[in-house]
Amino acid sequence: MLDAALSALGGFLDPSMLLMLLCGVLAGLVMGIIPGLGGTGAVAVLLPFVFIVEPQQALALIIGAVAVVHTSDTITAVLIGVPGSASATVTLLDGHEMAKQGQAARALSLAFLSSMAGGILGAIGLTLSIPIARPLVLEFGAPELFMLTVLGISLTALLSRGNILRGLIAGTLGVLLGQVGAASAAADYRYTFGQLFLNEGLDLVAVALGIFGLAEIIHLVAKRTAVSGVSGIGGGWRAGVRDFVRNWTQVIRGALIGIWAGVLPGVGATAGTWMAYGQAVASSKRKDKKKFGRGDPRGIVAPESANNSVESGDMIPTLLFGIPGGAPAALLMGALLVYGVEPGPRLITDHLDLIYVIVWSFALASVLGAVLCFGISKPLAKLANVRFPILAAGLIVIMFVSAYQEPQQFGVLQVMLILAVVGWLMKLGGFPRAPFLIGFVLSQPMERYYFQTVELYQTTEWIRRPAVLVMAGILIIPLLLALFRKVRSSKESSSADPEGADDEEGPAAAELERSWLPPAMCGAFAALFGAALLMSASFSPDAALIPRVVCTVGLVMSLVTLAVGVRALRRDGAQPIDWRGEVGVAVVSFGWIVLFLVFVGVAGTMLAATVFVPLFLWRVARWEWWKIAIYTAVLLALLWTLRSAVDLALPVGYFTPEVLQ
Amino acid sequence: MIQRRTRKLRPLGALVVAGVFGLTACGSPEGANGGSDAEAGAELPSKVEMVIPYSEGGGTDTWARFMIPYLEKHIKGDHTFVPENVPGGESITGTNQFVQSGGTDGGKVLVTSGTTYIQHLLGRKEVQYDFSKMRPLLLNGSGGVIYASRASGIKSVEDLRNPPQKLSYAGISATGLDLNTLLAFDVLGIDLKATFGFEGRGPARLALERGEVNVDYQTSSAYKSQVEPMVKDGKAVPLMSFGLLRPDGTVVRDPNFPNLPTVEEVHQKLRGSKPSGKAYQAYKAFLGAGFAYTKGIWVNEGTPDSVVRSFYDAIPKIDKDKDFVAKSEEVIGGYDVHSGQEIGDAVNKALSIDESKRNYVLRLLERKYDTKLETK
Repeated sequence: MLDAALSALGGFLDPSMLLMLLCGVLAGLVMGIIPGLGGTGAVAVLLPFVFIVEPQQALALIIGAVAVVHTSDTITAVLIGVPGSASATVTLLDGHEMAKQGQAARALSLAFLSSMAGGILGAIGLTLSIPIARPLVLEFGAPELFMLTVLGISLTALLSRGNILRGLIAGTLGVLLGQVGAASAAADYRYTFGQLFLNEGLDLVAVALGIFGLAEIIHLVAKRTAVSGVSGIGGGWRAGVRDFVRNWTQVIRGALIGIWAGVLPGVGATAGTWMAYGQAVASSKRKDKKKFGRGDPRGIVAPESANNSVESGDMIPTLLFGIPGGAPAALLMGALLVYGVEPGPRLITDHLDLIYVIVWSFALASVLGAVLCFGISKPLAKLANVRFPILAAGLIVIMFVSAYQEPQQFGVLQVMLILAVVGWLMKLGGFPRAPFLIGFVLSQPMERYYFQTVELYQTTEWIRRPAVLVMAGILIIPLLLALFRKVRSSKESSSADPEGADDEEGPAAAELERSWLPPAMCGAFAALFGAALLMSASFSPDAALIPRVVCTVGLVMSLVTLAVGVRALRRDGAQPIDWRGEVGVAVVSFGWIVLFLVFVGVAGTMLAATVFVPLFLWRVARWEWWKIAIYTAVLLALLWTLRSAVDLALPVGYFTPEVLQ
Repeated sequence: MIQRRTRKLRPLGALVVAGVFGLTACGSPEGANGGSDAEAGAELPSKVEMVIPYSEGGGTDTWARFMIPYLEKHIKGDHTFVPENVPGGESITGTNQFVQSGGTDGGKVLVTSGTTYIQHLLGRKEVQYDFSKMRPLLLNGSGGVIYASRASGIKSVEDLRNPPQKLSYAGISATGLDLNTLLAFDVLGIDLKATFGFEGRGPARLALERGEVNVDYQTSSAYKSQVEPMVKDGKAVPLMSFGLLRPDGTVVRDPNFPNLPTVEEVHQKLRGSKPSGKAYQAYKAFLGAGFAYTKGIWVNEGTPDSVVRSFYDAIPKIDKDKDFVAKSEEVIGGYDVHSGQEIGDAVNKALSIDESKRNYVLRLLERKYDTKLETK
């Protein structure tokens, strides 16, 4: 075993291997930085090369990219609050908060170090678990996976401290949105409104970019200032290193959760990363919990360490069972097949050398990726000090293009627009958005594993399985403890309850938290849940079960929150809304986004960008004309290069000229 | 003053724009324009776009990309093939788009898989394509093996007569490739409980390994790499193969699994007669779609012979390419590539279905698997 490991490492003395790894790393980093493009984008870049180089080199190339996508996707999340990929939404919570406080450098260095450590630990974990993973994966059947998804969704309560009910409503909405598309246990299409592109459900990238990215744009364009309130990126690189050393246990815990989330087919990087974050919150001391969401270093360490190790964990089902967890793993498998290497139980005995090439690639790429990120992050960090409208012009174009990649239907862009408004309102009204995304990600897996569990097991049988019991314990014990504590504290002193209702816990209170907006949103959500409930009447029983449960729960919670909200408004009076200022300007920036989409719908992306970007920079950013010209030219060149080199799909309009398609 | 007025008006303007946009939101600009039509005698264009209605990295995508260098090498003249993935809607999205706007000059070709055909055979509402009329250029079959876990108590195929346990199967959806297995058990008259909603054949196989189900099928290449080791360890028992459907409509043993009986032979063994009747006809109607012609490259109806011929001529050369033969073993399980010239008519015929067989299948799905489909 050691021989094979060392000879695989020796392979990297060959400059062509290192070159391939470097190419992979560069492709991965670039794709990670661009919002919305991640692993799948990196795959598209590498595809043409994978089938022409040697197998070892192909592995180095692919792994190089896969290992670092989650290192660089943090950059935009931290600096401008726009996630580089879906799983970077987790780091966004605390990382972006830190950047707003002028500590971008601290957040970035902490994130890169954690990513690197996560990648290395993932590689070690991969090596150690290959001999033992097979029986473990086989132990984890449908009931365990079902409990895991329930546990994940219950995180929503944890991530919305202060206004648990609103967090739960957001989570429930996410679950409902995840139900769009083909039902897993019946041949029904739910909530597709006759749109074919909705049959396979909404794409995670579009949802994450809409609810976080575009919403942020509406919000920040409205403010017209830079992201960071403090000038300079802060010389906090050392502080980041110190944070990293101080939180080494979080690094290891995050990596372990990440590996495990990767090993289990069907959990995925985004859910795994949220679980790592939830774990960090859950295991912190009670008073400490409030710090999460306000720039707590642990809120960066745990998810960053996890999302890099997910990718190496993902290799286990790919290599041992031939079940790829995502597009990059599927590509890896395809490449192996073409070279006559069959993933499966025989791989360990027949091709141990290749496994070690993969392991070393992960470790080396993680280090390389982190080093390169350190190198480029200083100039990039200045982004946080650029006036936001200048960034927004390009970001609007890029985000829509990214979200278009998977479904390749114009409709997805319109859905994104709606989600952007929902996300922006949620932000204003104090509805946490993290639970929404968790609910969305885990919606389908929860349903799938629920039906598999009840179809394949007797209730008495699955409920007694040890792992199920353990997870049920994790779920219930904190609830009991909290209840117990509450009862005791109310006996001791009925006046000073630290968990008092709308106390300003968690992330800083939202701007229109105490206006009539939150109750109005509750009303709208209640109407939505009600409508969805009515629509579920036409579904077959197996397809209707989960939507009905979700809608009923959502409806009740929205109505309760509505009632509580209205009572509070009667008691305290509503905080006035500044129509002219914040809201008015936001409506204008929303109008700009709509304008861009109209242009795209008419003329296609290239022409739309040619008109929209200068117009926006001129009217909103009020830049000099020559800067506008350079900016537009660079953006168009970037789009065109990506289109020709990587087959980036650009949304087409009704009248797109042939050459631009 | 003027400044103030525009400020007031701008939100209004934005709302108007939003409204206009909402009105135009009904259509979708995709597929509005695309390939061009050809005159008789036209040549294959030098750039050929391969429309793949599945995502990057999946089985069909891997196959298509694997084929590209061999097509470029063996098709006369200098042609480049550019893959374009249009995934979604169980491959209906991309295929519909292709028939609407793919043109007939060969500048766009369609890559298909069993799932694409099955949606057409079932007559699903969304389907706008008809494989009994389109022209197949190249077809590459696959095979499949049905096997059981040892934990089921089944030791050989004879035990299917009186299974020691209720047989259960893990499927992706009743409207995909699982249909072939469901229909095979229907032909044999064996009760099979199916649970749908698995993410792929891989997770379904895991369910069998975990003991959650006891019957499964895998395509040839996956069977060889994943299941044969289980058979060797005494954890799985091969039962039958789907065999090889020949252009004349007969089924023979799969050359990859010469020792495994076909579904027809198993019927003979268990029931003492050759299979016949509605159930068997329905099974046969889906067999070509699921296996014999599962991967294919197609062009629209009306594409001129001159374009099609470029592909036909290349295929015997691809079949003889040593490098191709060696590598295709892993990718598709070593089945020959056929040209549409050779078997085109048989394929068109195999991918058309009459109402009575379709209704039989739809009724079976509804009655036994609680699956009601919206059909045309």
